[in-house]
Order: sequence, then structure tokens, then C-alpha cells
Amino acid sequence: MDLKFSVEDQQFREEARDWLNANVFKERRPHGGEAMRQYDLAWQRCQYEGGWAGVSWPKEYGGMGLGLTRQLIWYEEYARANAPDNHLCFVGLNHGGPTIIAHGSEQQKKEHLRPILAGDKIWCQGFSEPNAGSDLAALKTRAVIEGDELVVTGSKIWTSHGHLSDMQELLVRTDPDAPKHKGISWVIFDMKTPGLELRPIEIMTAPNHTHFVQCFYDEARVPLKNVVGKVNDGWSVAMSTLGFERGTAQIKDQIRYAFLVEEMIERARERYGDAFVKNDEFGARLAQLRADMAAARAMTYMVVSRAQHNVSPAMASLMRAMVGEVQQRVRRLAFDIIGADGLENPEDDDWVYFYLRTYSTTIAAGTSQIQRNIIGERVLGLPRSR
Amino acid sequence: MDLLPSAEQQQIIDTIKDFLVNEASVDRLREFSAIGNPDFELWPQLGELGFLGLGLPEDKGGVGLSAGEEMLVFQQFGYHLLSPAIFGIVLGARIAASAGEVELRDELLSGTMRVGLANSRGLAGGPRDYHLFEADEADVILLIEESNAALYPRDAFEQIARVNATDAVLVLERATLSNAARPRAEVPVKVDNVHARALMLMGAYAVGIGEGARDLAIEYAKVREQFGKPIGFFQAIKHMCADMAIRSEAALCQASFASLVIDEGSPDTNFHAVASKIVACETAIKNAADCVQVHGAFGFTAEANVHHYLKRAHVADLIWGSLREQRERILTFPTPA
Repeated sequence: MDLKFSVEDQQFREEARDWLNANVFKERRPHGGEAMRQYDLAWQRCQYEGGWAGVSWPKEYGGMGLGLTRQLIWYEEYARANAPDNHLCFVGLNHGGPTIIAHGSEQQKKEHLRPILAGDKIWCQGFSEPNAGSDLAALKTRAVIEGDELVVTGSKIWTSHGHLSDMQELLVRTDPDAPKHKGISWVIFDMKTPGLELRPIEIMTAPNHTHFVQCFYDEARVPLKNVVGKVNDGWSVAMSTLGFERGTAQIKDQIRYAFLVEEMIERARERYGDAFVKNDEFGARLAQLRADMAAARAMTYMVVSRAQHNVSPAMASLMRAMVGEVQQRVRRLAFDIIGADGLENPEDDDWVYFYLRTYSTTIAAGTSQIQRNIIGERVLGLPRSR
Repeated sequence: MDLLPSAEQQQIIDTIKDFLVNEASVDRLREFSAIGNPDFELWPQLGELGFLGLGLPEDKGGVGLSAGEEMLVFQQFGYHLLSPAIFGIVLGARIAASAGEVELRDELLSGTMRVGLANSRGLAGGPRDYHLFEADEADVILLIEESNAALYPRDAFEQIARVNATDAVLVLERATLSNAARPRAEVPVKVDNVHARALMLMGAYAVGIGEGARDLAIEYAKVREQFGKPIGFFQAIKHMCADMAIRSEAALCQASFASLVIDEGSPDTNFHAVASKIVACETAIKNAADCVQVHGAFGFTAEANVHHYLKRAHVADLIWGSLREQRERILTFPTPA
């Protein structure tokens, strides 16, 4: 056990800090629309031009090829500098790109990787369907091979920022007769393809906040060469992307939330005085969160440590389950601290917006119940429920 | 940066695990439930193996390892529900060493002394009222406060009265520290922050209790069958077990982090020690409670070992300030680095 970082790593930390402090966008990130898209792309471009894009991507594909410790340092500094979350670039940087790097052809790599890294293209995910959520492998969107094309018909749902995206990582059923995990393919889908229609879905944060879309494919034609990996091997290709999602990018969230708890303690003191923090029920909740945020950070360090020794990857789900729930408690407490102000939801205040947003942290990318199945079965060795 | 134990540390863990599995299986408590516990018989062996002076420098009679190794070993002590008197010996030896009481230090390190713990009764008693744990035959009694840590002779306490302990395998007394009490050895926090170390180690001990309860529940969920299946097949039970594992992971990671912070002598030492005790005691109590539930009616009996984990979790929580007091305290520290 050791908490020390090497001299070289500390040097790297200082370089990262200096660059971030000089370059982080000061303007507030818009909550939606084309303005948000332009903001996220500009910030990604800024990182690319500064030589700080793709921390986990190999150097040969334009990334920084950093080891896990340096990724940890980067994200810690990223959060400390209050750098913006470029959520729109998340799928490209953490799913689509890494999947193409791992399974794509040379042509696919040449065509798609640089635009993701350089902030030219936004990617979205086309995995869940109205009848395939937690049971993702039950997906039915059909793709029929006709010559050198795939003809896609069906529907995807909960596609974050689909209306602002250029490309989609799409899971389709190419063999309806095979067992459900065996007949799926992973496809690069251009969002300008004729036959695609989008239905925006408002989310609970406020009226007119579109976050998701539902995608309808009516004989949309995709070149067969856009299949990544082998036809019908898409399930294992997709599983490797979900692995990336559980990677290092969420480190910055832990740090951010730790800061938020500190900010809440200050806000509560300012509003209600020291007695409020010390004696009230809120004091106990703040205190517990302070301790839990410390533990969440230690868990992150443990995940990085385990990954460096290549042990027990399934144990990362312990951290994921804990962190999603702590984030909800942090935002709920923030909401409670502002009291009656929480009944008002002004456009320029984040506290209500983010409180409502955190209801997704125990649902997105595997509900906490699915996480607990994984923990129960793969970590603790209990019998499979399905 | 690496939070996993090194190869050498893993060797220490394996050695103490082996020793405790053979010499201190939790079943021993069943046998001794009416008359205390036999753990003091283990102290000389632990002394010989070096486990009592693990974190003391070699020139102070110890093994010269760090708070990290101490943390890993106390985790195993908690896992086997070893008598909390072990804190008295290990921390007592540190106090004696810092105070320059070489003879007392060496006697403590040999494991031949009996050491009790004095713990404030808090709001339940007056300012000089204590509970004494495992102190009926104690040569010295450990008393740790925020400002200093000390070893007192038993006769420093008055009005000693034996009470029935909730955790019935422990000897518990009420006592009042006399006004004339003089410690045999004493060390202020400026010289050695024994208080933070004690909280960190109690956190590690509580991590062990929580893991013990977790493993007991999982083992039972794999073998107990209802509706023709092991109950661990059902998500209601599976998810309770997963919750125990999540809590235990959080508690262990924070305990590891806190031990390393102590070794660095960081200004965040108190913050992380308190955070560790909070997270670990919450974990130990909740895991023990879930362990009762997973065992059903059997978990409610004295025949199952489950109740020992629950009761010891509450002891760990109440020693050196409960969750309520630690939560109050953690809000007084500045933002950690």
C-alpha cells in the first residue's frame, strides 16, 4: 500500500494543472440544444489542439496513451480546475472510439477516430429498445443483409443527445434464429441516413429539456463495411464497450461531488449559521456524506490499483453501485438545504436541475439492481437468477 | 499510488489469518459466552510473532513497519472478533514507548500483561464516568482522549461495579476516574497522535467485523435451501448480500487510505481517521443486521454466531465516540486535500 506518486507523475500533475488553469472554458455550459453541442465540440477541440485529448487512447491513434495512474491524475486535476463535462463527446471518447480501436478495421479507424478526438463528430448510443432495457440481449431491431448493405428496421430508445449527434453505435439483430446473444452485430450508423426518424423525449428536469430521443429505422441502409468486428459477434464487441464505460472517466465525478459536499457545508453555514450544521439533522447528513465521499475516492484509488495488477475486474461494480447512490444523496441534500427555494426552478440555477438529474445515476448504464446481480453472482459467487 | 497490499504485506495478512483461524475461530465465543473469552491466552503468542509491536520503530522495541500493516492486522482481529483488549496492548505499548517507559513497553510487547480499556460513558454518565472493558484482572488500563493518551493502574478508578455486558463475551464494569489518579505513562497528541491512530484502527477492526458478517451471510445463502433453491438465488437475498459487499468495500478502501495518511503525517490525519471510523462502524452495524435477516429465525438465536457480530459492531461504534459524535466532529475539520 502506498499513496505516493512518483516525481515524474507529480511533474505530469503540474503540467496538467497549468494547462487546465490556462485553458478551461469560463462560460457556463448550456443545458441543451445546438449551443450545448457547439460548446462541447469547442472544448474537445481545445483539448485536442493543446495535446490533451484521449487520455486513455493509444498514441498511435492520436491519444495520449496514459497509464491508469496518470489518467487518475488527469481527471483529478480536470475536476479541480472545474473543467466542463463534455457529455456529448462521452460516447465517442469512451465507447465508440475505444470499440473501433479494439475491433475495427484499418479503414474504420482511419475514418472515425480522429473526428471523435478532434471534436468534429458527436456519437450517440443505440443499444436499449422499448422491450430490451436491463435485458439488452433481447433486442429486436432487425438488420437484413442485402448485397453489400444492411437494411435496418426497428426502434432504439433512451438515446442521449441523439438529436445532436452525427454518428451512432448501433446494435442490431442480424440472425433472428441464433440464440439471443449470438445473432447481434455492432454497426457504425450515420445519423443522416434516410429512413431514420427521431422523436424527442423530454426529461423530468424541466419542461422542454430534451435529453433523449427515440430512433425509428424504416429500411435504413448501412454499408456492410460499417459492421465492427464480425457479423453476429456484436454482443462480445458491445460488452467490451460497456467495460470502457466503467473506466476512468467517472473519476472526475467523484472529485466534483466531494467539492460539492464542501460547497453545501459552506452554503448551509452561510444561510442558517453554524448551529444548523452542528446540530440539525442536516449536520448528520452532511457529515455522513463527507465521510462517504472520502470513501468513494479511496474506492476509486482501489479500482485503479486493482486494474494495475489485473485482478478482479468485476469488483469495479462495487464502486459503481456505491457512487451512483451517494451522488443521489448529495443532490437530495443540496435540494433540502435550499428549502423553499427548491420549489422554484429558474433557468440559471443548477441545484434543482442537478437534483432531478441524479435520478438517472442508478438507472443509466445498468440499473443498481443489475449491478447487484453482477456483484452477487460474479463477485460473491451466488447462484445465477436467470 | 497503490492501495493493494504489497507481497510482503500479503504475507503478514496470511500469517495472522492462519494463526487466528487455528487459534481463535469465532466458534470459541459460543463455548465461552457465559464466562467471558479466552483471548488473553493468545497475547504471548501474538507477542512472539511480532504482531503487538508491528507499527513501533525498531529502536523502540517494535518491528518497524507502518500504520498500514497495523491496519491490515486489526482488520483480521475484527474479522475474528478478538477481544478489544488487543487495542489496550498495542496502543499501550506505543504510549509506553513514547513516554520512555522502556520496561513497561517491553512487558506489554511480550503479551504477558493484561490491559483493559476505559471508555467514557458520554452523556450517559458524568465527566469522570467510564466503562471498563476486559479490565477485571488488568495490570493497566488504556484511556485515550483527543488531547492525550495514557495508561492508568486499575486503582486509579473508584466505585468499580461489574455489569452484565450486552456483548456478553466481554467483561464490563462501571467506574469513576479518581481525582488523584496518576497515569503510569502518558503521551500528549503533539508528540504522538494516538487518538487518530486509535480511531483508524477501530475503523479497521470494524471493517473486519463487517466482512465477517458479510461472509457468514453469503455462506448461509449458498447452502440454506427454500422453494427448492439456495436462498442466494433469490434477488431479495442476493441484493442484501451485494449491499454488504458494497459497504465492506467502501469501509476497507477508506481504512487503507486513512492508514497511509497517518504514515505521511498529513494534516488530514484526523479527518481520514474519523471518516474511516464512521464508514466502517456504519458498515459493521448494517452488515450484522442484514446477516441476522439473511439467517431468518436461526439468526435470532444464541446458537448462531450472528449475534456476536452485531453486538461487537456496537461496541466498536461506542468506543472512542459513536457515529453521532464522530459525525459532529468531522464537520469541524477543514476541507481535506
